[in-house]
Amino acid sequence: MTTIIQLMVSGLLIGSIYALMSMGLTLIFGVLRVVNFAHGEFLMIAMYGAWAFNRLLGLNPYFAAIAVVPAMFLFGALVYRVVIGSALDKPHLVVVFATMGLSIFLQNAALMAMTADLRDVPPIFARSISIGHIFIKGELLLGFVVTLCCTLTLQWVIKHTFLGKAIRATVQDGEAAKLMGIAVPKIFLITFAAGSALVGLAACVMVPLFSVFPTVGLNFVLIAFVIVVLGGMGSIEGALLGGFCVGVVQSVSAYYVAPAFGQLFFFLLFLLVTIFRPNGLLGQKGAATLGMNE
Amino acid sequence: MSALLQVENVIHTFGATRAVDDVSFAVQPGELVGLIGPNGAGKSTLFNLIAGVMPPSRGRIVVNGADVTGWKPYEMARAGVARTFQIPKPYRQLSVIENVMISAFLQEPTVVAAHELADVTLTDLGLAPYRDRLAGELTVGLLKRLEVARALAMRPKLVLFDEIMAGLTPTEVGAMTEVVARLPERGITVIWVEHVLYAIMRTATRMVVINRGSVIAEGAPAAVARDPAVVKAYLGEEIQLA
Amino acid sequence: MTVTPAKTSAKTTISGLPQRGRVSWFEIILLAVCAIWVALGLAPTLQDVVVLSFLFGGLALAWNIAGGCAGLISFGHAAFFGIGAYTSTILFQSYNLTPWLGIFVGAVAAALAGAVLSVICARLKGPFFILSSLAFSEVVRIIVLNWSSVTGGAEGLSIPPVPDLANMVLGSKTAYEALMLAYLALAYAITRWLEASRIGFYLFAVRDNDDAAAAAGINPLMVRSLAMAMSAALTGIGGTLFAQYFLYLDPTYVVSPELSFQFALLPAVGGLGTAIGPILGSFLITPLSELLRANLGNAAAGLHLVFYSVGLIIVMLYFPSGIAGAIDKLRQPRSPP
Repeated sequence: MTTIIQLMVSGLLIGSIYALMSMGLTLIFGVLRVVNFAHGEFLMIAMYGAWAFNRLLGLNPYFAAIAVVPAMFLFGALVYRVVIGSALDKPHLVVVFATMGLSIFLQNAALMAMTADLRDVPPIFARSISIGHIFIKGELLLGFVVTLCCTLTLQWVIKHTFLGKAIRATVQDGEAAKLMGIAVPKIFLITFAAGSALVGLAACVMVPLFSVFPTVGLNFVLIAFVIVVLGGMGSIEGALLGGFCVGVVQSVSAYYVAPAFGQLFFFLLFLLVTIFRPNGLLGQKGAATLGMNE
Repeated sequence: MSALLQVENVIHTFGATRAVDDVSFAVQPGELVGLIGPNGAGKSTLFNLIAGVMPPSRGRIVVNGADVTGWKPYEMARAGVARTFQIPKPYRQLSVIENVMISAFLQEPTVVAAHELADVTLTDLGLAPYRDRLAGELTVGLLKRLEVARALAMRPKLVLFDEIMAGLTPTEVGAMTEVVARLPERGITVIWVEHVLYAIMRTATRMVVINRGSVIAEGAPAAVARDPAVVKAYLGEEIQLA
Repeated sequence: MTVTPAKTSAKTTISGLPQRGRVSWFEIILLAVCAIWVALGLAPTLQDVVVLSFLFGGLALAWNIAGGCAGLISFGHAAFFGIGAYTSTILFQSYNLTPWLGIFVGAVAAALAGAVLSVICARLKGPFFILSSLAFSEVVRIIVLNWSSVTGGAEGLSIPPVPDLANMVLGSKTAYEALMLAYLALAYAITRWLEASRIGFYLFAVRDNDDAAAAAGINPLMVRSLAMAMSAALTGIGGTLFAQYFLYLDPTYVVSPELSFQFALLPAVGGLGTAIGPILGSFLITPLSELLRANLGNAAAGLHLVFYSVGLIIVMLYFPSGIAGAIDKLRQPRSPP
């Protein structure tokens, strides 16, 4: 019994961190309607940044967020300007291949700059926290807290600020938003940059838990995709819920079946969701059938 | 003579709204029925129900004696019911004649015969000069004609027109009206949803007027035009807040 | 994104430059040149590249049936490639079934998988479909990696490098060139046949507007499943040929997202939905990536891919219709309606 609870708790916590990593992706999809296939590489770059911060300044990677998050915001804005912006009015395939190309570029640029060696940050917390018989790693719990705060902040911004309203308007009807004086391309830019900044935050939280290497993005991007679809593309709360599901499924199946099969189960979960609830658990009705450019 | 189309007590709700409220009517072979009503009256919903886009919440739809309630659009097409789309849906990367051939394949399974049928249909609708142009390059007026051509190339028993006149110039409206008026002689029954009233009032053999999801008047065009309920529906204080 | 279709009255003649719907002299000459090249045994040092270019040309054409003609952009085709390769190899190793027959079994298995994917993704479009195809491929990869008793797991499978014509192990690279060219020609012929047939038209219809296709009496799910099954079968055949050439199946490559990406990239660069596009894409990119790897791969690990990816981004942003589209624009500037 304790085992199951332990697995579920660990699963929920790691799932929340996965969710944080996926929020940027779902936000970008919800507003721009593009899937950034280089999402994993954005995470990788930010993780290297957090690691470097820790190595060079000896500071806690959580403090690195002060530098990494704004840096990722600017990086996202740059990528939007150079690659994404001009691809938006072209057939959908162009964005797909352009971001895939970007993904390969970033992986190999990192390989050239940093070599394939694994980089780690020393653990922050000396001991796990224990509640009864359940052990919780401090880094996981902190990640969970950061994710919740982030979710609440995002929800507040979306509901109560003008920017949030402008974003919601753009999501619902880009043409009408333009006519109302909303600079839709600027909204796209801000959203893409903000999504990238979110990835930066996730990286700071993940660096104490995972090693960094040039292809680390590949593992995580697939998880992020599953979470985004599971939760409903464009839904922040959905990403959180999706993250929890994935975390728990992975945790439980890795223990009871085999670690290698951990991934298999959440892909199967993904496929089941796409068959039976393609809009995800909390997504807009019809989102999955709208696709692109229609 | 049994009806070609029978709509029986059809009700359709979207959430709490009843878009179609217990509608029944029949269409005999050879008729040219006009379906009109103010905006938000439920015409499009009714149209889509007949075309098979979604099954009605309640009620039956019968075509030639067969219960087709809940049939998918492609099954309705194979049963002899063709439809146009209000916002044209061309195959953009195919040429005009290829667009029509796709529909013609329903009746003529070989490429050569389908090509023939498509050619004839295009000529009937004055689209022959555009045969080899990419559909994605056409203007709205031409695209609407293409919609009609695609429907007719299916040699349907029943054709459903959805606002085929919107966006056309007066000359184009006149030409299209002539084409539609001749369809019953060719054995094609027509149900026509339209806002451009002067076209439909001259050609329809019978009008069905819908307001707020119900049939409020039925009969010859002249009689329906004078019906006080119809006049009130279009001009009266009742404002649709749908 | 396709090239202009041929005027239907002209379909029985052969055109000069590539057009949809009819064979062109360009392609005939290109294929003839390839055949002569193989027959003369030219450039012995480049034979690996030639074999791969032909093979990937065929694989690109196979992907194109689903992706270009039917609009089913899949990033999971490596699953079908792997199913074909593993099926024929396992049948050969465990049951002594000659790959000349095993190749068909592999094709059928891949076709079934293709139909399954199609049904799973029946209601999905755009990025949802892409991601689902990726997930599907990952499921297949994990199964292959872990079902060691059958697939050899992470160690893969190998075929003894003993020339044995009856079991599709050929003696010379020239013979393999011929085999792969035959595959390319087959894939090309199927594509051209499709373009001129009713089924092919249905594929294009479902791609361009499946609501309209349904209203015309076409069952979109059936057509998509058929397209995916054909595409998967042809891809699976390529998988078997690959296995018989390299004589070793490495699951981390054979069912990888990188490979799936390659299958989609070649037609995209060459011209989606055309018969010549995938061939041009392969003939351009396969040698280029080998060249880059050979020359820059030593300078710094990953440098060749840096160039490759930047080139890809530039091509996608400035030539979205691919090479075939660019040729077409030169040939026929758009006239106003």
